Amino acid sequence: MNTKAVLEIKNYSKSYGTDKMAVDHVTLNVMEGDIYGFIGHNGAGKSTTIRAVAGVLDFSEGEIIIDGHSVKDEPLACKQVTAYIPDNPDLYDNLTGIQYLNFIADVFGISAPQREADIRKYADIFEITDALGDLIGSYSHGMKQKLAIVSALIHYPKLLVLDEPFVGLDPKASFALKEIMHEMCRSGTAIFFSTHVLDVAEKLCNKIAIIRHGRIIAAGTMEELTEGHSLEETFLEADTDEK
Amino acid sequence: MKNSVILLKALLLSTSRKNIYRHTTDRKKRRKIISNTIGMLCLYLMLVVYCIAMCAGYGTYGMIEAIPATCALTISILAFLFTFFKTNGYLFHFREYDMLMSLPFEARTIAGCKFLYMYIESLPWYGCISIAMLIGYGLYAHPPVSVYPLWLILSLFLPVIPMLAAAFAGFLIAKISSGFRKTTLIQTILTFLFVIFCFSLRFIIDDLFRNEKIQATLESSSEITSKAAGIYLPAAWFAAAVTRHDILSACLLILASVFLFAGIFYVIGIFYRGINSALNAHAAAKEYTLSSQRQHSPVVAIALKEWKRMSGSTSYLVNCALGEILSAILGIATILIGFDRIIAVVTNGAPLDTSMLQPAIPFIIYFFIGMIATTVCSPSLEGKNYWIIRSLPIEMKTVYQGKMLFNMVLSVPFMAFSTLCLCISAKVPAVNTFMYLVLGFALCAFSTSWGCVCGIRHMRLDWENEIEVIKQSSAVAIYMLPNMFIVMGLTVLVVFLGLRISHILLAAAFTLTAALLALLSYLTVMRLAKRKSP
Repeated sequence: MNTKAVLEIKNYSKSYGTDKMAVDHVTLNVMEGDIYGFIGHNGAGKSTTIRAVAGVLDFSEGEIIIDGHSVKDEPLACKQVTAYIPDNPDLYDNLTGIQYLNFIADVFGISAPQREADIRKYADIFEITDALGDLIGSYSHGMKQKLAIVSALIHYPKLLVLDEPFVGLDPKASFALKEIMHEMCRSGTAIFFSTHVLDVAEKLCNKIAIIRHGRIIAAGTMEELTEGHSLEETFLEADTDEK
Repeated sequence: MKNSVILLKALLLSTSRKNIYRHTTDRKKRRKIISNTIGMLCLYLMLVVYCIAMCAGYGTYGMIEAIPATCALTISILAFLFTFFKTNGYLFHFREYDMLMSLPFEARTIAGCKFLYMYIESLPWYGCISIAMLIGYGLYAHPPVSVYPLWLILSLFLPVIPMLAAAFAGFLIAKISSGFRKTTLIQTILTFLFVIFCFSLRFIIDDLFRNEKIQATLESSSEITSKAAGIYLPAAWFAAAVTRHDILSACLLILASVFLFAGIFYVIGIFYRGINSALNAHAAAKEYTLSSQRQHSPVVAIALKEWKRMSGSTSYLVNCALGEILSAILGIATILIGFDRIIAVVTNGAPLDTSMLQPAIPFIIYFFIGMIATTVCSPSLEGKNYWIIRSLPIEMKTVYQGKMLFNMVLSVPFMAFSTLCLCISAKVPAVNTFMYLVLGFALCAFSTSWGCVCGIRHMRLDWENEIEVIKQSSAVAIYMLPNMFIVMGLTVLVVFLGLRISHILLAAAFTLTAALLALLSYLTVMRLAKRKSP
């Protein structure tokens, strides 16, 4: 099957004012239909990479291309096809859930009938329909996470970028999200997400990159990387080798 | 354009009291919204009454033609100051930055909408001034009917240019500091330097203006307008448009506002992501080695935490420590220039025996130190982290004691330094100096504990942006405004009483009063700590 790269990260580096690099020459490609897992220790550089992909973080070294557009030069074109869900979504506490979803739908120019159908569909899946009239400030962390996921799904992105998406989700919502990710992948969406949960990554992803101290220490398809071992064993082995 | 409207609408809705009232099921929250709205309306009313009274004064002395320029200058100065202190927090370094930047908005659209949001939020204040002065002007000057709509329309543009100037200054400070590793520290230092520069500038202009005003008042009141115009062009355009129906001036004000807005936000947009990335970044520490650690009591631990909270936030530091810095500058200035000369400048060379002002020294210092106590906003500043202190095995009174200890540690050394400087410069006898130091200490204790009472009573944890509690919360308004006015009154009273009563006796009496009030406030804090939970 001929697939094209939706996300290309080329030699991306980022430092925070010191000699120590937060991310050091990271290069990877996420193709259409990929579910690409990005795993590593806390502080390894996962969020720094993901935030740069989302167009939130400025960077000087390297290039990030989304659907043929440069994040640096054409940020708007990139964001138009990307959905980003941070690990701890800071949503407007004093908006209601439905007001927030309408705000996102307005930004992406989604028609009224379309948004109504999609909000209903995804809010039902994540069981937050009843709470959509409440202020977001009254939501639990998990509910905010679910709302952020619904807001990401309603505009049918070509690239879905998630930072630790399963943290705070209940088992049913986690299962639903995984199902949706599979469904999106089948329709050609590229998914790039970070996680600590290796079991999830192993079951969900077709490609994996392991990052340590800002550098990619292993990357490839799940089969290439694990070679019959579990992802946990592969990760620990790669980590030990690198030390 | 369409996206700007969508974003602006969302920003306004996300802080709208009406929206919260309509959708919250929390009755306590609803009651709070109602009382806050009533409080704000009272403040608006006070401002309107004050402005009309000012116009009456101008009208009585035949200076009514100066009102348009005065209105323009008042709105401009307020707009500049309010915006400058809010830029870091509203325009840069705000909480929902990641969410907004990941959406398909141009960086300049986000920055521009944030600015417009600040403008719309502060518009009721400027509206009150403008409408009240228009009423005053209408009553005394009897202008043609066309002046009324023109005044109202142009008033909408009056705050724009000073707000843009303040936002641009904030942008420059953020841009420069983003190039350094210690971003917050550099940003704070630059902000302080800029504030001090503005204060000096205002003082110099004010001094020039005042000298001219005396003469101008004798000659003709329109002279004042032209002097104001010489200093600040938009005020001149407004005055000319209103008093002389100068359409060109009206157009200049509108066009300058619009083009400056477009130009400034084009520039800000270019650097927006870079600045915010730097401001939000926490420099990666070099290899840390665990060395010997020190144990502190819970009260000291809370005080130290408060210090870290303050030093990590430019907004908190600039807004709360400004009084302390200004008092220190005043102290140094009096030593360098001399108490008599400073008084001569302040009183515009009035023939005064400066020794009669000596009893006012602790109150002059307290005017700055008590400008805002960190205890006013610190309970609210816990925000979403409130759970941390609530879940600790310590009583709430310990938490408040820690916060009060921090405020005392911050304010007392500045108070002592400035009081000593003023006393040395004014050649105050040693015993009096000691008494003024004790009085200063009592005033600091009062400011700390009363600030804490206001902070606990009007605690607000559900803020979107810390500026909301540092700069414009009801706790701050309730603490700061009466505090400032009462201190101004006390300064006059103490000078008056000092002519009749011994200065030492006077200081002792005020010390006792301040100490008693501090004690009462402290006991209130302890009582509130037992029963108050948000």
